[in-house]
Amino acid sequence: MTAVISVSGLVKTFGRARALDGLDLEVRAGEVHGFLGPNGSGKSTTIRVLLGMLRPDAGHVQLLGGDPWRDAVALHRRLAYVPGDVTLWPTISGGEVIDLLSRLRGGTDARRRAELLERFDLDPRKKARTYSKGNRQKVALVAALASDVELLVLDEPTSGLDPIMEATFQACIHEARAEGRTVLLSSHVLAEAEALCDRLSIIRLGRTVQSGTLGELRTLTRTSVTAETVRPVDGLAGLPGVHGLVRSDGRVSFDVDGEHLDLAVRRLTEAGLRSLVSAPPTLEELFLRQYGDELTADDGGRAGSGPA
Amino acid sequence: MTGTLVGAGVLFRFALRRDRLRLPVWLLAGGALVATQSTSNQTFYRTPESLAAYRASAGSNAASIAFSGPPVGLDTVAGTVAFEISSTLVLLTVLMAMFTTVRHTRADEESGRTELLRSTQVGRHAPLAAATLLSVLACGAMAVAIAAGAALTGLAVPGSVLLGAGTASVGLVFVGVTAVCAQLTGVTRGVYGLVGGLLGVAFVVRAVGDVTGNGLSWASPIGWAQATHPWSADRWWPLLLTLAATPLLLLTARRLLDRRDLGAGLLQPRPGAATAPRALSSPLGLAWRLHRAALLAWAMGVALLGFVYGGLAESVETLIGDNPDAQVFLGASSTADLVDAYLGVTFRVTALLVAGYAVSATCRARAEETSGRAEPVLTAGVSRTRWLGSHLTVALAGATTLLALGGLATGISRALVTGDAADVLRLTGAALAHAPGVWVVAGLAAALIGAAPSAAVPAAWSVFGLLLVVTMFAEPFDWPGWISDLSPFAQTPAVPAEAWAVAPLLVLGTLAGVLVAVGLAAFRRRDIETA
Ligand SMILES: Nc1ncnc2c1ncn2[C@@H]1O[C@H](COP(=O)(O)OP(=O)(O)OP(=O)(O)O)[C@@H](O)[C@H]1O
Ligand SMILES: [Mg+2]
Repeated sequence: MTAVISVSGLVKTFGRARALDGLDLEVRAGEVHGFLGPNGSGKSTTIRVLLGMLRPDAGHVQLLGGDPWRDAVALHRRLAYVPGDVTLWPTISGGEVIDLLSRLRGGTDARRRAELLERFDLDPRKKARTYSKGNRQKVALVAALASDVELLVLDEPTSGLDPIMEATFQACIHEARAEGRTVLLSSHVLAEAEALCDRLSIIRLGRTVQSGTLGELRTLTRTSVTAETVRPVDGLAGLPGVHGLVRSDGRVSFDVDGEHLDLAVRRLTEAGLRSLVSAPPTLEELFLRQYGDELTADDGGRAGSGPA
Repeated sequence: MTGTLVGAGVLFRFALRRDRLRLPVWLLAGGALVATQSTSNQTFYRTPESLAAYRASAGSNAASIAFSGPPVGLDTVAGTVAFEISSTLVLLTVLMAMFTTVRHTRADEESGRTELLRSTQVGRHAPLAAATLLSVLACGAMAVAIAAGAALTGLAVPGSVLLGAGTASVGLVFVGVTAVCAQLTGVTRGVYGLVGGLLGVAFVVRAVGDVTGNGLSWASPIGWAQATHPWSADRWWPLLLTLAATPLLLLTARRLLDRRDLGAGLLQPRPGAATAPRALSSPLGLAWRLHRAALLAWAMGVALLGFVYGGLAESVETLIGDNPDAQVFLGASSTADLVDAYLGVTFRVTALLVAGYAVSATCRARAEETSGRAEPVLTAGVSRTRWLGSHLTVALAGATTLLALGGLATGISRALVTGDAADVLRLTGAALAHAPGVWVVAGLAAALIGAAPSAAVPAAWSVFGLLLVVTMFAEPFDWPGWISDLSPFAQTPAVPAEAWAVAPLLVLGTLAGVLVAVGLAAFRRRDIETA
């Protein structure tokens, strides 16, 4: 599969602050790629480099086969972007903004526009100043989804949407994927990422810490297991990769690293398995564990400008 | 304290803290302006002869009366100080009053800060009360600063206090005007537009009244302040008018506040179009849409000014005719030349104002960038050059149109008097002689936006401020020639008084082109910044 976005070793500094510190990212054609990371980790900065708004200090960046800094205009005709903070022109109506942006990208599809307005329940006559936050976001979303482009770059596109609109958004992304479009989706809504994304990249402090399918990420972390056995299980605590072991009258529960799951379950079977509940980590757990651990390790140092 | 005012004290102290650096700058400027004017006039008009010559020239010059005020008390040095500086002081004080009031009312409300505050123990009227109290006290402090500046440089104390009090009283009226306008529209920019417009009307009404001497000046708060005649008649009673008007305006603002929702204005925004008109299909179309309201307001102002200037030209003739001293002093061979000299000066003033438009229109591009509104356009297949170029096109073409309009309006009102239709074209062309100078100012702002973005807006306005200072002070204060030569308007010929000169216009035009090119090139090479 060809890469629609490929970034390696990307560095971007703002004065002394190092917002991106050797970030890698690969988005393949036709996939929905989740881009996750805590506040200030560099998601928006990466996206703005990908759009040619920021000039990278070092590293290799390729987007749709071109250089986003040099070939910005040509590349932008083939993508649509929804910024994280949608600011619109206060005196221009939502409908006008949608038309303007689609026309700049090379034309509107009136039927598709009308359909999206209907689905997102958006009044195009309102001046941007009088829209609520969620409705401003919808203006940007409709403008992006209405255009016939290969790549959608969405920076926290649903941060102001209500649950019904969130569902509409997810349906639209599924359709976009079915039409063969590629989507880069930065989000804090992990359920959304879990539902939509083929692959994910998790970044922290301007660096990619994990990347892969949800399944692959899961094997990299722990599964929680609760079991009832006929006989007490021996030697669980000594197994590699087993954490947080708790025993209570015939039941054991513990977390185990993905790669050691097999061995741990074998021990359970040896002890005569009566019942077994095993939950793969949700993305939320994955995320919390990743950052929870590191947060305690560096004592909230992420609020600053980046690693020293 | 009633419930709706709860928290006003805290808010007032907070506002004072936020303005602890801004306000002293305004006050210092006021005091320094008076002190400079006072010391230099005491040097220039030391002898009775020089005073008499001044009285003859300035006191009979319609343009200077239109700008400064009634030519009274010019038989004393102190009187010349009041004549020359009061108009500038009034503008300064009104701007201070407007910016301070808006900053703590509509601007805070538009940004959502007021909502955050009002959700705590803060009454409905508290933000307005705190803001107006701060602005009123600022005007009071301005009165003290001006009085001190005059008295400390040796002018009589009662007159000094009166000049300060009169100036501050106009500020007070405009605190009230701003407070009312801040209730009317929900947009900060709109408040500035309304207040600026009303200030313009007050200024023009006074100018017409003072030049024609028909009492119209009493319809303007600026006229009330200047009717105090500091250091000559030393009248206090005209200030009673402002003392009556200010509370009335403030109470009106309070009533209006009670009738509207937080964040909204009284003037309801109309719904917009569901689809974009064909004109809104390109960056240029968008730029035009964004600039057109401001440009229209400027066009009305410039046209009005042009009509007034053109109409006053007749008064130049009569004033000079009545005043043989002035004819001797100005040494002009014919009244026609005097009128042209007067028109040459007015076009230079118009050009300076239009340069202000050019700076504000160019800086609009930077505001679009930092607010994040450039990004959606720049990621929709529009190049950096095309985007910035669109804003510059509107700024440059708009400024040029404004100049032509000013000349056209002057020409029409002049032609109505002379009956010579050729005046229309002649004076339109004359005003356009300053276009390359305006382009240079806009080009400089563009270059700054490209190459030094974070400093660009304050730097561009500082340049404009320096231009104002040089134009206002270089000649009367006999500053060295090279200082006034720095102004592009010193290079453009003062048509119709002077002949057309093509060379400097070509040089300025080229310089403007280079500056714009630098701005565009630098803008392509840097990050897009959002605040
Ligand atoms: N123009 C700028 N000047 C200085 N620092 C900046 C600038 N833009 C971003 N940063 C810093 O770079 C880091 C990354 O910011 P970025 O906006 O990319 O984070 P993010 O992952 O999008 O966060 P969020 O989830 O809150 O949107 C932050 O520490 C931020 O403070
Ligand atoms: Mg972000």
